[in-house]
Amino acid sequence: MNPLAIPRVSLGWLLLAQALVMVPFWFELPLWLGALWLGCTVWRVQMFRMRAAVPGKVFKALMLLLTAAAVYLSSGRLLGLETAAALLVATFILKLLEMHSQRDARVLILLGFFCVVVAYLFDDSLPWALYSVLPVVALLTALIGLQQARVVARPLATLRVAAALLLQALPLMLLLFVFFPRLPPLWSLPAAQNQAQSGLSDDMSAADITELGQDPAVAFRVSFDTPLPPRSALYWRALTLDRYDGRRWSQAPSSSLRPVTAWQPQGPEWRYRVIQEPSGRPWMVALDVAQAPARDVRQSGDFALRRLRPISQVLGYSLSSWPQVPREPQALSDAQRRQALQLPASGDPRSRAWALALKAQYPQPQAMVQALLAHFHDQDYHYTLRPVALGSDAVDDFLFNSRRGFCAHFAGAMTYVLRAAGIPARVVAGYQGGELNTAGQFITVRQYDAHAWVEYWQPDVGWRSVDPTFAVAPQRIEVGLAQALAADEDFLADSPFSPLRYRNLAWLNDLRLGWDNLNYGWQRWVLGYQAEQQGAFLLAWFKGLAVYVLPVGGVLIMLVLALWLLKPWQRRIEPGLRHFQQFERLLARHGMRREPGEGPQAFADRAAAALPGQAEAIVRFAQAFVAQRYGGRGQSPVELAQHLSQLRTGLSRLPRIKTRE
Amino acid sequence: MIAALQRRWRHWQARRTPPVATLELDRRHIFIMPNRVGAAFVLTLLLMLLAAINYQNSLAYALVFLLGSVFVVAILHTFRNLAGLRVSGVAAGSVFVGEQARFVLRLESLHRAHQAVGAGWAPARMQRVDIDAGHVLELELDLPSERRGWLVAPRLCIDSSFPLGLLRAWTWVDPGQRVLVYPQPLEGELPSLAARLHDNEEEGLRAFGQGVDDYQGLKEYQPGDSWRRLHWKAWSRGGALLVKDFAEIKGRDLNLDFVALGGDVEQRLSRLCYWVLRLTREQQAFSLQLPGQAIATASGDPHCERCLRALALYGGGP
Repeated sequence: MNPLAIPRVSLGWLLLAQALVMVPFWFELPLWLGALWLGCTVWRVQMFRMRAAVPGKVFKALMLLLTAAAVYLSSGRLLGLETAAALLVATFILKLLEMHSQRDARVLILLGFFCVVVAYLFDDSLPWALYSVLPVVALLTALIGLQQARVVARPLATLRVAAALLLQALPLMLLLFVFFPRLPPLWSLPAAQNQAQSGLSDDMSAADITELGQDPAVAFRVSFDTPLPPRSALYWRALTLDRYDGRRWSQAPSSSLRPVTAWQPQGPEWRYRVIQEPSGRPWMVALDVAQAPARDVRQSGDFALRRLRPISQVLGYSLSSWPQVPREPQALSDAQRRQALQLPASGDPRSRAWALALKAQYPQPQAMVQALLAHFHDQDYHYTLRPVALGSDAVDDFLFNSRRGFCAHFAGAMTYVLRAAGIPARVVAGYQGGELNTAGQFITVRQYDAHAWVEYWQPDVGWRSVDPTFAVAPQRIEVGLAQALAADEDFLADSPFSPLRYRNLAWLNDLRLGWDNLNYGWQRWVLGYQAEQQGAFLLAWFKGLAVYVLPVGGVLIMLVLALWLLKPWQRRIEPGLRHFQQFERLLARHGMRREPGEGPQAFADRAAAALPGQAEAIVRFAQAFVAQRYGGRGQSPVELAQHLSQLRTGLSRLPRIKTRE
Repeated sequence: MIAALQRRWRHWQARRTPPVATLELDRRHIFIMPNRVGAAFVLTLLLMLLAAINYQNSLAYALVFLLGSVFVVAILHTFRNLAGLRVSGVAAGSVFVGEQARFVLRLESLHRAHQAVGAGWAPARMQRVDIDAGHVLELELDLPSERRGWLVAPRLCIDSSFPLGLLRAWTWVDPGQRVLVYPQPLEGELPSLAARLHDNEEEGLRAFGQGVDDYQGLKEYQPGDSWRRLHWKAWSRGGALLVKDFAEIKGRDLNLDFVALGGDVEQRLSRLCYWVLRLTREQQAFSLQLPGQAIATASGDPHCERCLRALALYGGGP
């Protein structure tokens, strides 16, 4: 056989490795890629069995073009992570048909490693990270399987070599992971699109937040360095919405670009660390007024924190918030004021009239807000995830007819009325509350904790937050969404198997919280281990010595590994002597042990007498050994090995005698 | 420039691996470098690192570090796979010009098993073998013999890229092996002999070597027999390799004289070689006369070998 061809076992490993690499992509990429993979695998196997022809050049070129076209058509974009990943995976699959020599196989393996990295970009959760060990092991084993060694014929032995290599590489890898300097991104790359689907968007119709109310995905997790604030203070601001077009609240472009007015920290401080899930959007969450943590984060005029690039990976950041800092207590600029009072030219006449009536009754903004809250509380308003559809004058319809709604309805309506009454106001979108994990002492905030509330402005006081939902359904704020819903409403109706639905089962809930805790640790210590956290960690543990740890540690690890692998102290064994040891072991299995001080010849004679059936082979071996070792004759060890194997086959027919050492 | 560097590199390697009969490979002899696949692997790792940096992805970092560490650890493994191997040359038999000279190399494992170890004259053509712990393996390496005289084996390359195939550990070994190449036996009439045969027809000697009339039967092939006389039919039926034997000389001693022959030096030597073999096979005593060298009449294998050696080394080689 051509020594450069791919052996059968190695081909098996390659196919297995490819199948394992492909698994995460089934969830991310178009399904026809899976079909392509199956087809190519079957074809490759048939090619190996000589049952199928090797594809010709024209056919391969055609396949490549077709696949590229199909990738483009199914993604609809030329650029983007999905398109690039689909092309990479398609190349990875098609290479299978073009794999004839070992060189091709190695190219395939390298592509496979790259595909594993790309899969991480789509999902880097703990289960997938653990899973990815499998394809990596399989790819390494396939690489070893291309060697022309006998061990390669035994799949398990090859696997053991790969596993040993990986385990030995582990200490060095950990050292590199902790100490290798993390660089800021060199250039920006397209992020995965699928992650942009969940979370808040920069315009809000009431329906959007209602939709989020059904989504149990984690939005972010927070752990506090300072004592945990009360639950009712946990209003996680993400962005403010200050433009209303009659249907939707959205953010005016000017307000996100406006720089923040200077402010000074005052009052108590909350220090906490946020681990935010990828959202595909640039905004971060913070309580009240927080300090921008890093250079690539900007605080815009509404005190929201915005990253320069969208959050496409798990992002960790530490924040400090000062809840008592007044926000823009000086007079608002004209443009600001205009934006904070903006309303559509017409529509919702009843609400406008009502607002003016209230204004006449309560000239002070503070009193007016209180009156509104009292109205929501006293009248027949209901908090529900299943609001009825509203008519063309949405605010009128909500305030005076349906009176059933979600936080977004209440916040939108209240802002509308305040603006109509001449009080600058805006809707704030963010999250409220979260679930405390007592084992890990952190708060998990999920998408269904998405919330909307109101900020209004008064001279000298600045912006104040007020939550109309609290007036309607105080449980929503004090306990959480699930408890706030009416008994007949099905919480998480879309995810019947979510463990969150079964919180009342204590053991299941403990299990869920434990898993959540594990994931939080994973995100905080592994995924969030980027420049900021690395710097803090190294400074805390190694002070200025951190730069020396990598080279010194690397050399030490390699030294220990080299000593362990090469064992320079090990006495080397002369081949003849090794054969004699094997000879002794062989006979020991049949109850013959060499006495201390007994010479090889005497021992062989005794053994021959005890095992008459094999006497000839025993004596022959002993003679050859003695001749080689003591006779000075250059007996070839090959001959000794032959004698030994004859003896072994002879003895294998005899029953073994178990003796204790 | 590059040629000069290569020359210096070879010179440096040669200095590190002087010719010795037995060499135990250790760190002084073993060179180790990534091969082309290894370079591609490192390039892939760099691309992966770029992805890790740009996407700030910790898992991508982790995989890059894991594979990088595997690569570094593989250096030790690849080195270990060659270290502790004892390489020695085994005395090799002589051949005739045109045959493949066989050099036997003995590979002896002193510590541990050695896997996929290749040996050969050029990195492109290597024989790969596994050597189990404590075992000895003898490897035959062929080299075409083109000229008579001493054929000195070139320096031998021993390499291995086990386990990953990304790094190649190699060494140059010069066990100082050489093989004596005899002239190619060339069938032909010996004028001196023929003349004497004609002169002495009454003594019962017969002419030989030309006719098919003198067909004697079949005998086993021996080196030096003419290929034209091979009994291909028998061989193709799966039988032994036989030659048609034609004539036999009996009687008195013969003298093979270089000067009495026609043709150039090599042709003369080839014909003498043929006759030395043939006469020995027929257990005929003969003497050999070369310019400046005479071998007295004798018969038997040692005599044959002496004659062949003299022919091979005549004139210090061609």
